[in-house]
Amino acid sequence: MTEMKNQAQDAIEAILAGYEKLGYISDEQIATALFLAQKLEKPLLVEGPPGVGKTELAKATAEYLGLDMIRLQCYEGLDESKALYEWQYGKQLLYTQVLKEKLGDLMQGTNSLDESMAKLNNFEDVFFSEQFLQTRPLLQALQNEDGAVLLIDEIDKSDDEFEAFLLEILSDYQISIPELGTVKAKKPPLVFLTSNNTREIGDALKRRCLHLYIPFPDAARENTILQARVPELNQQLRDNIVNFVQAVRQMDLKKPPAVSETIDWARTVVLLNMSVLDAEFIRNTLNVLLKFRSDIENVEGEIARLMRETQLTPDTPIQ
Amino acid sequence: MIADFIRILRAADIQVSPAEAIDAAAVIEEIGIGERRLLKHALGHTLAKTQFEKQSFDECFDIYFKPPEMNLGEATPTSDSGEAPEPDAPSQDSAGDATDDADGEEGEAQEGQPGDQPGAPTGEAKKTSKKSGDPASDETGEGEADTQRASLVDMLTQKDQAALQAAISEAAQKVGLADAKLFTQQGMFSRRIMESMGLAQLDAHIRQLEENGESGKADGLREGRGQLFEAVFDFVERQIAMRTKNAGRLLREDALSRIRLSNLDRSDMKIMRGLIQRLAKRLASRHSRQRKKSRRGMLDIRRTMRRNVAYDGNLFELSWRRTKVERPKLLVLCDVSGSVAAVSQFFLMFLYSLDEVMPKTRSFVFSNRAGEISDMMRDGDMDQVMEQALREFGGGSTDYGMSMMDFAEATLDTIDHRTTVMILGDARSNYGDPGHLVLKEMHERARRVIWLNPEGESSWGTGDSEMKRLGAYCTHKQVCNSVKHVERVLDDLLRLST
Repeated sequence: MTEMKNQAQDAIEAILAGYEKLGYISDEQIATALFLAQKLEKPLLVEGPPGVGKTELAKATAEYLGLDMIRLQCYEGLDESKALYEWQYGKQLLYTQVLKEKLGDLMQGTNSLDESMAKLNNFEDVFFSEQFLQTRPLLQALQNEDGAVLLIDEIDKSDDEFEAFLLEILSDYQISIPELGTVKAKKPPLVFLTSNNTREIGDALKRRCLHLYIPFPDAARENTILQARVPELNQQLRDNIVNFVQAVRQMDLKKPPAVSETIDWARTVVLLNMSVLDAEFIRNTLNVLLKFRSDIENVEGEIARLMRETQLTPDTPIQ
Repeated sequence: MIADFIRILRAADIQVSPAEAIDAAAVIEEIGIGERRLLKHALGHTLAKTQFEKQSFDECFDIYFKPPEMNLGEATPTSDSGEAPEPDAPSQDSAGDATDDADGEEGEAQEGQPGDQPGAPTGEAKKTSKKSGDPASDETGEGEADTQRASLVDMLTQKDQAALQAAISEAAQKVGLADAKLFTQQGMFSRRIMESMGLAQLDAHIRQLEENGESGKADGLREGRGQLFEAVFDFVERQIAMRTKNAGRLLREDALSRIRLSNLDRSDMKIMRGLIQRLAKRLASRHSRQRKKSRRGMLDIRRTMRRNVAYDGNLFELSWRRTKVERPKLLVLCDVSGSVAAVSQFFLMFLYSLDEVMPKTRSFVFSNRAGEISDMMRDGDMDQVMEQALREFGGGSTDYGMSMMDFAEATLDTIDHRTTVMILGDARSNYGDPGHLVLKEMHERARRVIWLNPEGESSWGTGDSEMKRLGAYCTHKQVCNSVKHVERVLDDLLRLST
């Protein structure tokens, strides 16, 4: 038992370290989830507010494991012809034309209709074969020899029907193509599903997945993330930025700034060569951090207070 | 163990399917149970599938896997006892009950709830327990009790916390603590656990020590025994609390959904609101799915042909005839006077929770005059809206004639063959004009007119009730006075309209 525990723990720590090397700062929860997803061969449903790095997680995982990443962006109206496979109608059309011309040669020597039908039956059915199959992300992920990381992004944007259609793939890693039969995965791909919770995901789908919720990071973690992502930034500024963003997040906003916005903001600071965060700068660049007019107005009025709270001295007086 | 834990999760409103239970078992196999934090994360990923569930999962996990606490021989032996309401009671009770048990009938002891003999002096009770109890109680769990006898004494003298905790957990399992449902069983289970751990033997040992004159040791043991009681009692309390936390609420919600809305207590409003929201969500998801279905249609051959002329008449692009989606256009008129107000309120609340599937709803309220509240409803807090509506349109005596006129004036032009008119009221017009002629006109134009009456069918048409006259111009008449009714009515409505 202890040996097993150690193995699991070691593996999880290895995952953590691996991510960190790639610049993706995760935590034990995330690493545990990934470890389980690999071990149990179960898809991982990742939820959380936009911009906390759900998609990034899948990318980092692909890189970490050295696998191809195949991404399927969901939207309303997505169906299997776009997600799974499609027949290449143009090619099929050409094929029939070619067949028409050759038909005369082929049918030579047959005297009756029955005979030619019998001859025709002897040909293999190429019309619906892999030759004419245009693979789409899901099928690609299943056919990949070494396995792959399949990212089904924003599953909540798709329709109920598509969700139901995913069930077969997610539980058995196989799909049925009516004309060809069942395609089974050579090596089960590691599946990530992300959701922003615009719609409640069906229970059936949830049941098949492991569930990971990524919240906004705390100050310490956000600091590390910034360090990894924007290494040009000095310690002092980084602390200031993180503290300020964390304080903004406490406010009642339509869309609180996420990690990606923090990173953008930090890049802005670097780009503009700022040495201190002053009120003027903050006011001018709030639009990087906040994406709604009303939010920006809200925060603008509070800049002085926020700066005081985060121990920044407002260098310029606030009008 | 995992099965038991899952039972607790279910009690805490977390949906756990058998498949997920199997996953959980697999997870434990992978992770092992050595590392608590890791196990918590891992099980959390497997079992709790929403943020809300995650929260309750964390709570449950912490309580369930928290070992029974006790502080043996530390400087403050009573610091923990604050949690247990009556730290002395269990020891007396169980000692008292032990005598019952000793007399032979275990079943009797179960039924006779402990707690009735606080007067029995502890010492005496213990004495009887020992005297007559020794031979009898040894019968109950002979083999194990024997081995435990020494160990319980040892554990207490050595203050071996871990071993004691393990012993408590084990004993709890043996006496079936998992089946505990009620708080009143707390004393009984505590006593049984103690007995299973070898209480009688411990007492015997203490007495022996006393008789031998080693009163110092005896006192030490006695103190340990007291602490053990506290620990067990506290442990049982926590376990029962965890198991029963949600059972009560579920029971209450079920009852509330059936109760007549006019009889509702104010204190239940909050639960009610949550309940309605959930029911509405269920209804909405059921019907939005139906609507999606209508997007599939038959093959439209004419359009397909036309579209594929470019492909030499080969049919490559298909075109489908679409079924037209028809959302119900709903007009609601609600009586907000007196007894009907409560029902109206919940009806409207329900209706607006369904905004997603029924966006084209206009609602009016009346008592003597009718007025529209759709906009208020859309962005208002329900209490405020009701208050405002009552202030503006309530007050006077109910006047159906006048209100119907107002209603018709505002809406008659928009009523067409797609419109459903719903009226919620008791149809008691104070012997005035019931407005049946206006209703007749609406009935002729609208797709259907539904009358919801909070009164039972037997009182329709009695006294000043004009239900009979008004009912003549309704497509449906229904009794509606509980959340269950409201749900059914709206469900039917949505089904008809798709």
